[in-house]
Amino acid sequence: MNGDPFGGHPDGRDRARRRGQGELEAQVLAALHHSPGPVTAAWVQDHLGGDLAYTTVMTILSRLHAKKAVTRERVGRSYVWTPAADEAGLAALRMRRVLDSESDRDAVLASFVSALSAQDEQLLRSLLERATGGPGASESSGA
Amino acid sequence: MGVFVFLPLVLPLTALPIARLAGQHLHPRSTTRLLTALAVVLGVCSTLCLGLLMVVGTAQLPGNPLPDGWSDPEVRAAVPAAEFAGTAAIAALAAVLTACGTELRRHYRVRSRTHQALDGLPSGTELAVLPDDSPYAYAVPGLPARPGRPARPGRIAVSRGMLHSLDSDERRALLAHERAHLAERHHRYQLAVRLAGCANPLLLPLRTAVAFSAERWADEEAARTVGDRRLTARAVGKAALVSRPTPGPLLAGFAAPEPGPVPRRVAALLGPAPTARSWPPALTPAGLAALVAAAGTAASALSSLNAAVALFLVLKAATPL
Repeated sequence: MNGDPFGGHPDGRDRARRRGQGELEAQVLAALHHSPGPVTAAWVQDHLGGDLAYTTVMTILSRLHAKKAVTRERVGRSYVWTPAADEAGLAALRMRRVLDSESDRDAVLASFVSALSAQDEQLLRSLLERATGGPGASESSGA
Repeated sequence: MGVFVFLPLVLPLTALPIARLAGQHLHPRSTTRLLTALAVVLGVCSTLCLGLLMVVGTAQLPGNPLPDGWSDPEVRAAVPAAEFAGTAAIAALAAVLTACGTELRRHYRVRSRTHQALDGLPSGTELAVLPDDSPYAYAVPGLPARPGRPARPGRIAVSRGMLHSLDSDERRALLAHERAHLAERHHRYQLAVRLAGCANPLLLPLRTAVAFSAERWADEEAARTVGDRRLTARAVGKAALVSRPTPGPLLAGFAAPEPGPVPRRVAALLGPAPTARSWPPALTPAGLAALVAAAGTAASALSSLNAAVALFLVLKAATPL
């Protein structure tokens, strides 16, 4: 592998933090999508423009792995990484970021349903049971 | 004019009872339109009133750029506690403008960020399916064209988790619901009523009322499209049950006086279809509510207009031209 696996640039991490974790995740994922196959973290680091520390890339890859956005496989003493999803996965990740960061998003995006309280949930279950004639019934009984 | 100049500031108090009555008795389409119109008129009148108070109360203060003639003793006599009211109006107007600016900016930020997020998906389809296990579904209003960027049509963003939790008929109901949001441009009503809430906090209850009636409107449209109210109710109920990250036993100690929006929507769908009359008969509670709303709106508009015209005439007479 080319690149020094432990060569962190001192300013890389600062810039990384400034750029925001979400954006970095998207970048790393985009780089993985352009890989010829399973690649190492050093390969990812090289294809990111080179201003990120190796440890930062590892952190982001691990986080993506926790989110099931990438898969990894042990080869020798290190891991090789593959994107779990395609472009759509990237879009989903970005969408999640919008939904998570905009606390008042429901003012703009009309959500199909809003959150239920515990009482609402009970009430809703009993309404649905009555409507479908029992918990197991799923056939349409409407007009 | 007397204390009546303050009328547009407090008339929005009528918004809450009107919203309740309208929500119970009118078709959700009429409710949404009526309440939004009410919010906009009352909000504009209230802001206009603040502007006039500011002019009258402060034009004579040293350092104010407005012509001194705009605040003749004669004019000031028309407003009780003119100086105090004028100074307070400056602060209130600044707060209103800031709040409206923030609201508008956030609205367009969320819209454009969402579109950017969806850009990776095949464009040209209205439906954007996101490979995400957590269930959600949103109607994303379109974006107007700007230099260097074509207009983007509205889209429906649905996660795979949501699609998996519904059967094919229920999915049709979900899509019809979201499509109704886009086709009827519900985001405009939402934005208008949110801006009105920024203009006068007494109008804040209308936000939730309009948000709810817009959901009901889309539910009714969906039920009409799929031709089955029960099916639509089931889709709404199932979707709510799977996307239930309930915030713990919050407020469990208090018996909530009213069920939340989703059970009310489901119950409404399981009941009979609302009549599509746009104006109810005058002698029913709904008719009275509509009449009170119309009267309140008219009174607010008239009193603002009256104040504005009177003031304008005095100012014109006082301006040396």
